[in-house]
Amino acid sequence: MAGPATRGLLATALPLIVKRIASGLLTLLLVSLVVFFIAQLLPGDMAQELLGQAATADAVAALREKFGLDQPAPERYVRWLLGMLTGDPGYSMVANMPVADVIAARLPNSLLLAALAALVSVPVALTIGILSAMHRDTRLDRGLNVATLSMVALPEFLVATLAVLIFSVQLRWLPSIALVPADASPWLILRALAMPVLSLAVIVIAQMARMTRAAIIQQLNQAYVEMALLKGIKPARVVLTHVLPNAIGPIVNAMVLSLSYLLGGAVIVETIFNYPGLASLMVNAVTSRDMPLLQACAMIFCTAYLLLALIADTAAILANPRLRNR
Amino acid sequence: MMNATRTWVKALPFSGRVGLSLVLLWLFLAVFGPLLAPYDPGAFVAHDVFAGFTAAHPLGSDYLGRDVLSRLLSGARYSVGLALAAALVASTTGTALALITAVSPRWVDEGISRFVDTLISIPSKILSLVLVAVVGSSLPLLLLVASITYFPGAFRIARSLAVNLAQMDYVQVARCRGEGAVYIALREILPNMIHPMLADFGLRFVFIVLLLSGLSFLGLGVQPPDADLGSLVRENISGLGEAAPAILVPAIAIATLTVGVNLLIDSLPGRGRRMAGKE
Amino acid sequence: MRLSRRQMLGTGLAAGMTGLLMPRLAHAQPKRGGHITAASLSSSTADTLDPAKGALSTDYCRHAMFYNGLTDYDENGQPYLCLAESLDSDDQITWRVVLRRGVKFHDGSTLTADDVVFSLLRLQDPASGSKVRPIASQMASVRAVSPRDVEIVLTGANVDLPSILAQSHFYIIKAGTREFSKANGTGPFRCQTFQAGVRTLGVRNEDYFREGRPYLDSLELIGIPDEVARVNALLSGDVHMVIAVNPRSTRRIRESGTHDLLITPSGLYTNLIMRRDSKPTGNPDFVLGMKHLFDRDLIKRALFRDFATIGNDHPIPPFDPFYRADLPQRTLDLDKARYHFARADLPSTPLPLYCSPAAEGSVDMASVLQEYGAKVGLKLAVNRMPADGYWSTHWMKHPLGFGNTNPRPTADLVFSLFYKSTAAWNESGWQNERFDRLLLDARAQGDFALRKEIYGEMQEIVAAECGTAIPVFITLIDGFDKRVKGLRPIRLGGFMGYKFPEHVWWEG
Repeated sequence: MAGPATRGLLATALPLIVKRIASGLLTLLLVSLVVFFIAQLLPGDMAQELLGQAATADAVAALREKFGLDQPAPERYVRWLLGMLTGDPGYSMVANMPVADVIAARLPNSLLLAALAALVSVPVALTIGILSAMHRDTRLDRGLNVATLSMVALPEFLVATLAVLIFSVQLRWLPSIALVPADASPWLILRALAMPVLSLAVIVIAQMARMTRAAIIQQLNQAYVEMALLKGIKPARVVLTHVLPNAIGPIVNAMVLSLSYLLGGAVIVETIFNYPGLASLMVNAVTSRDMPLLQACAMIFCTAYLLLALIADTAAILANPRLRNR
Repeated sequence: MMNATRTWVKALPFSGRVGLSLVLLWLFLAVFGPLLAPYDPGAFVAHDVFAGFTAAHPLGSDYLGRDVLSRLLSGARYSVGLALAAALVASTTGTALALITAVSPRWVDEGISRFVDTLISIPSKILSLVLVAVVGSSLPLLLLVASITYFPGAFRIARSLAVNLAQMDYVQVARCRGEGAVYIALREILPNMIHPMLADFGLRFVFIVLLLSGLSFLGLGVQPPDADLGSLVRENISGLGEAAPAILVPAIAIATLTVGVNLLIDSLPGRGRRMAGKE
Repeated sequence: MRLSRRQMLGTGLAAGMTGLLMPRLAHAQPKRGGHITAASLSSSTADTLDPAKGALSTDYCRHAMFYNGLTDYDENGQPYLCLAESLDSDDQITWRVVLRRGVKFHDGSTLTADDVVFSLLRLQDPASGSKVRPIASQMASVRAVSPRDVEIVLTGANVDLPSILAQSHFYIIKAGTREFSKANGTGPFRCQTFQAGVRTLGVRNEDYFREGRPYLDSLELIGIPDEVARVNALLSGDVHMVIAVNPRSTRRIRESGTHDLLITPSGLYTNLIMRRDSKPTGNPDFVLGMKHLFDRDLIKRALFRDFATIGNDHPIPPFDPFYRADLPQRTLDLDKARYHFARADLPSTPLPLYCSPAAEGSVDMASVLQEYGAKVGLKLAVNRMPADGYWSTHWMKHPLGFGNTNPRPTADLVFSLFYKSTAAWNESGWQNERFDRLLLDARAQGDFALRKEIYGEMQEIVAAECGTAIPVFITLIDGFDKRVKGLRPIRLGGFMGYKFPEHVWWEG
């Protein structure tokens, strides 16, 4: 019985995935165009920013020539794109090394931080969301609601700074900066990342929990739930086996948005905890007008988001058979 | 009219009434705050910085010796007005686009979705950083940045709801009845997604307030000497160690504002519920 | 212990006469060993091991770990000999450098005259990204006379060459170095790890030419851009020194009991720029009106919590040996401001005033000006620009805006770079023939008293006529763990003028 069903699912999912990859590539191209276009509008260029106050006309001209900035913008874009197609993201003149190397040093950090934050926040958010939905309008629901809201209601730099004041300066339990040597033990890394992970988790838990609650409540109002309850099936069972699959669409969507925030939105957390991640690297690329690096960061964030969205949509379709026809 | 309002308020649960009072309070402060401010928000009136609660300065003084109460009263309108406007723009745009995709041919859905994916995958704070560097910081720009940042999220959530609903039996029935796309979108789909979208609106409002304060962390945001609530927290952050009112008060202000909005929204009678009951 | 120029140029300079090299009696005997982590301001992918490109404090400190200059600064900001064994000149135009014997680069090779020639000449190449090209182009020729002798010929007399050579951009690198992924210098630490935007780790250079130095086994340098995070990292013990502490954080640091402050009055200033080529900022009455509109006491007290020195609209701070004390101090005077503005043809629309977090304190100074301006009928519209792009796009580009100038080792440098009529960074675009002539006279003048007289007149001219207003000089504040010893202020920058690596030791 399982055999044909699985094959059916695959048959539905496969063309979808192929199509998604195609449209994903299109999105990547669009993003790179948008990024390139608005970066061209930025005041000053790499040569000027590198020289800072020392930017005299001839020094700027000399550096522009050295960096190839004297060529027209479209030409530079096409060259970058061609490089990208052959798998070469270019060379960072600012860092004086290949973009791939710069990224390679930071990407694992960002992925680790995001993964840990997701690992903490997803189960917590699901639990909170399901609990409050099942106990809708009770004291538990309101308590959880106010708690999640209050967590997210404070600016993240305040939450992070407050956490450092308490756990690092006062109690001395955790390090205030998340800069760990490459050869650090897993325990040391976990300790250093504890506060950044919590600061990020706090922000995303609320959104995911609230969407989970809303989506489940929406389903609880449907006739089939009433039927199931009338049949005498336990509420918890109804929620987990019937309601959750139907509510999965909006829930997973909220999660995708939140989780993609964990990568690109971590600027402030990375800054406060001095964590060498991709978001601060991208800010860095903007301020130094380092186009290849900026594009590489944008491509990574976009890819990550597309992958998450793909997972979300696939999950939604698999969970709700009616969508398969669409 | 008055009676109807009273009944409506009475129907709200306790938390809803708390939320309503907070929202009304902040709306009032946003409109009349500048008139109530005892001092000019930019004036250096206190000799001490980070002073505590005194008669002359009920909420203390800030990092430069300015009156915190006055700055709070003048700053409320930025956070409330800007965030409210941006959240409205973001949520309505997102919902409208989602409804369009739900009832339109595939290629419209594809086009809109690619466009939204493009916007969503550029990190919002970095986009803001670039835009502010390009055109300078101004209120319309902040509104634009916040809307651009948060409508794709609203769209994705709304779309997943709408697409789900479009497959529902009653929608199929309406289709078979020969109802037009607009009718289906507005009468059959929209009412059933209002509740989650309102919950999402509340959160979106919170996130926009937070985005604005995040921007102030990056040195973007409202122009001095004015400051939105987030900027007030940011500029007084060095008073955190001594628990100065200058930082606690705006932080509490943000919290009451955002929690208030969400409490109110949560306690609104769900329209979707009624529709579902009719089924 | 200030020496006259004449002494310094001769054997006085050759002697290791500095207090830095002989720990004072008040200090305990330096201890060898230990590790310190120091947190500077910024770090980014633009971090470099190339001294010529050094841009911010983190770069300067990093370069002081791995390299040396021909000269170095002592506690009074005066130069003393470092890699040079002697440095002298008869006419202040042709300078003879004799290199110290037996100095070794980290790769084991010996320092020669060729290295010096290479290091100095590349600073003139526009494509090198050198930050000091205008200064370096004063060197008409640099040539190796023998393996230990270098001859530097200047385009004009300059008694300040020893000071110029002590700046980090003039550090000596191995001849032929073009690739800077690792540092190969003569400095107190060897580069073990360098990751741009992340960290720099140095371990003791056992072959360092100064006996007994450095004291530390290893030194790590990181950048923490957020001030609050930086101070928290210090107080939680994760780092042992932090640069650029906000005056509002000083109480927390002092009250900790375990940490202290290094307070360095400096020549750093944030100035109002009134462009000569625009209206109404080019009007001399407007300039004087603005200069009387600054509440210097308020700026010093409220903005800097008294960690500042009142300025008098010229770039020489009161503790500089060339400071002219008898010049009347300009103060807030709304009547005078009103009087001048009445004659300045003010526009009816608000005048935009550009400020940015990039110029320290300028946003708040702009707010202060806006407040006082309103009292005398001057409407200002404060435009806060993001730090990103401020220097390339806004600095000196608007009629009314702010600039920020780091401390320079000599009066000549700050005057030449920012006030000479033809200077690229003549911020207000003023022209003053007399000033330009005095500048050249002072450069060639070896006698301290005569030179002070010339600089005195230049201060008067700038304060009276130049379109820049300098309300205060900003005092630099660093925080450190009390177990870090040997720190002393050098007024050219935080962290001992960025040169702390070889001077500090750890008593843990």
